[in-house]
Amino acid sequence: MSHTVELVVPENCGTDVDGQSVEVDVQDGEYVLWAARNAGVWLPADCQQGWCCRCAGYLLSGSLDQSDSRRYYETDRDAELHLLCTAIPEADCRILACQYEAMLDERASHDQPPGRSKR
Amino acid sequence: MSDEKRHGSGSVQPGDTSKRVGAEVVRERGGDPEEIREKLIDAIGAEFTTYYYYTNLRCFLAGEEDLKEITEDARLEDRAHFELVMPRVFELGGQLPNDIRDFADRASCPDAHLPDDPTPTNILETLLEAERCAIRTWAEVCDMTRDCDPRTYDMAQRIYNEEVDHEAWFIELLSRERDGEANPAGHFVRGEPGEAPYSTNNRMNDSA
Repeated sequence: MSHTVELVVPENCGTDVDGQSVEVDVQDGEYVLWAARNAGVWLPADCQQGWCCRCAGYLLSGSLDQSDSRRYYETDRDAELHLLCTAIPEADCRILACQYEAMLDERASHDQPPGRSKR
Repeated sequence: MSDEKRHGSGSVQPGDTSKRVGAEVVRERGGDPEEIREKLIDAIGAEFTTYYYYTNLRCFLAGEEDLKEITEDARLEDRAHFELVMPRVFELGGQLPNDIRDFADRASCPDAHLPDDPTPTNILETLLEAERCAIRTWAEVCDMTRDCDPRTYDMAQRIYNEEVDHEAWFIELLSRERDGEANPAGHFVRGEPGEAPYSTNNRMNDSA
């Protein structure tokens, strides 16, 4: 079983598909980031353990399981911000990619790392 | 210097100490020195916290002398990585966070906590995943700097080399401890712990 994830890639993301929307199939239990990279959409990421926030994305619709992330807060979920390196789709999703700066702002607003140390 | 002749072209005026050619040439080649600098602070934050956490992990490998020594190698080499890159942060116009808590918060890899059940297998799994995070991080720094910042790229690729070594060590040891399988790293430990053959740079004295 798989889910379809539409990645909306902003203009300044630094990928080959900036300004475009790309659909990728994410297999059951697979992470969004890896499915995207396998499909040739080289989204930014560092740790790939759900910690550093470099891969953050904004969930426009659908549902993501974030339980494998090493550092993820309920306030992130409340803000619809997710760590795509460790996000498993629970439904078809639409995601705005490259939201690292937004994630840092959100974390800082709740006095959480790493945003609080970078703002 | 002659008053008649300027010493060079570019965005830095002769005698200007408010800018560094060593940073501006990165910008001139399409790089973003401030973005690179901030990523470096995050990355060496992870090297520094790893050095700390590995200190504890190796203590709990008591009686497993081979595991302890290899963990010590990785621990000291991670400190060497911090030492290698730290000056580059300043060269790129930055500085270390004044509060070590901010530095640890920014670290781009997870804290390598002692497992609740600190068996050799569980500790080796923690060490392995820490090394894998470091490999990914330095590979990203290499990608970011390959075409615009040869100095940072040189540092990052040397650290990357050692992190790949570390992963191979811990795959070998975990395979033996957990699975009873031979999964050779294909190379041996250093001549002495913390030798850091790729990344050692600018030693100030024998204690560095």
